[in-house]
Amino acid sequence: MAKTLKDKVVIAGIGKTPQGAIEGSTALGLGIEAFKNAVADAGINKNEVDGILTHPGTTSPEGATHYLRFAQAVGINPRYSHSLVMGGGSGGALVQSAVMAITHGLADYVACIFGDSARTGGTRFGGAMAGGNELSQGIWGMFGPHANSAMGARRHMALYGTTSEQLGHLAMNIRNNANLNPDAVMYDRKITVQDHQDSRYIVDPLHLLDCCLISDGGVCMILTSADRAKDLKQKPVYLSGIGQAYQAVSFENDEWWYLTHQRTALADAFAMAEATTDDIDVAQLYDNFTISVLFWLEHAGFVGRGEAGPFVGEDRTALGAELPVNTAGGNLSESYMEGWLHIYEGAVQMRGDGGPRQVDGAKLCLTTGRGLNLNTSNAIIMRNDD
Amino acid sequence: MADYTKPLPRIDDNTDADSRAFWDAAGEHRLVMQRCTQCGHIRWPIGPVCTQCLTEEFEWQTLSGRGELHSWVNFHQPFHPEWAKEAPYNVALVKLEEGPIFLSNMVECEDSELAVGAAVEVAWEDATEQISIPKFRLLQD
Repeated sequence: MAKTLKDKVVIAGIGKTPQGAIEGSTALGLGIEAFKNAVADAGINKNEVDGILTHPGTTSPEGATHYLRFAQAVGINPRYSHSLVMGGGSGGALVQSAVMAITHGLADYVACIFGDSARTGGTRFGGAMAGGNELSQGIWGMFGPHANSAMGARRHMALYGTTSEQLGHLAMNIRNNANLNPDAVMYDRKITVQDHQDSRYIVDPLHLLDCCLISDGGVCMILTSADRAKDLKQKPVYLSGIGQAYQAVSFENDEWWYLTHQRTALADAFAMAEATTDDIDVAQLYDNFTISVLFWLEHAGFVGRGEAGPFVGEDRTALGAELPVNTAGGNLSESYMEGWLHIYEGAVQMRGDGGPRQVDGAKLCLTTGRGLNLNTSNAIIMRNDD
Repeated sequence: MADYTKPLPRIDDNTDADSRAFWDAAGEHRLVMQRCTQCGHIRWPIGPVCTQCLTEEFEWQTLSGRGELHSWVNFHQPFHPEWAKEAPYNVALVKLEEGPIFLSNMVECEDSELAVGAAVEVAWEDATEQISIPKFRLLQD
């Protein structure tokens, strides 16, 4: 039944803002700038946009009513609209909502929007973990987003022999990609595996260079039906497979650290796209920390359980190797747009517009997102007409 | 004991009211969790119903305090001013014999002694006159 969504909707326009530290920027302003750029890229009139889906930035004061503020600011009364807070899973989940809404006729042109001034706006990602009736984890010194991933990394290392040096190769290759992307925050700042090893620990076993950036910026994608896209300005990027899954239970779940919900999201996306890992030419895998990429590789089936360490350690995710990963630089080295730029870069690659970082002849791209305390996850497989 | 400055459970202002029984037992150096009186499942964290059968009725069961080291990390980054004074410090996850995974710290050991799967047992830190915090030590064989 889910196959009815395959290739029904396309990314028709993409827009982004400068990334990094943008003094005086606001989440709303950055989202609007990205929206304007996406509308221009799609070659449509902004009043044709009848779907507004937003991910409130960490500095957006409106919270879950952000979609109303955004729509008001750009003068649109949408047919279909909501905000959603799933951390790094938000962008993918909103794109998937747009696919469903457009396929079923609830909207014609849906803009998915994110803007945040997390870098200059004073966002602190270091609060104590607590939620519901959970005991405040600050009692035991558990703070910030790093530690859960560090716990998973430690276990992956203990069970499968994965090493920090292997993660260093991944960080280096993703940084190399950023050095082919002049828009990347870390453009012109190459690193070596030794730099990675020499960088200070944040939460051992994760070094500084295992960790994503914190950034200001905005990203927008405009989606429409495949039929409508035939008359539009840009080469359509078809959304062939989508999937999402969540992990709410962790302390009663021995496999929490392995993020098995991601496997479900990926399996659904691959099934809908009627594709296998062999078909994937390039991947944009959510990299809040290096270790996350290893979990995606294993859950998608590019490698077996526990085998991703050597895969990344042997530079097989480098541009020009068998599976180029995070071709624009990812969260680690392009900008931390909570995964939104992963979708953007997927579209760039499918259009063939990657310039020096373009994967030649790429026809299928896998894009993934995950957020909050590792809870949310989704996968999108996009393709072109080539 | 009066100079304990790191975060403590907030049971007096009702923020953590649901955990009062947990901390009362901890004060007696007993690690307790909710056991469903219908199906026997032990749930964690503290919750309003059994996560398996949704039954509300439960009893607080005293656990063995034993388990194995599920994973651990070392905090170097100063996220909290009081904890930062002890950095680098460990935070550990313990897979308890009764099932749940419990967040804590390993004490009375060097980090070099820690290994995933190592047998551990609860070790109580008397933080204040009212509050004892469950920590874990390596179980000597």
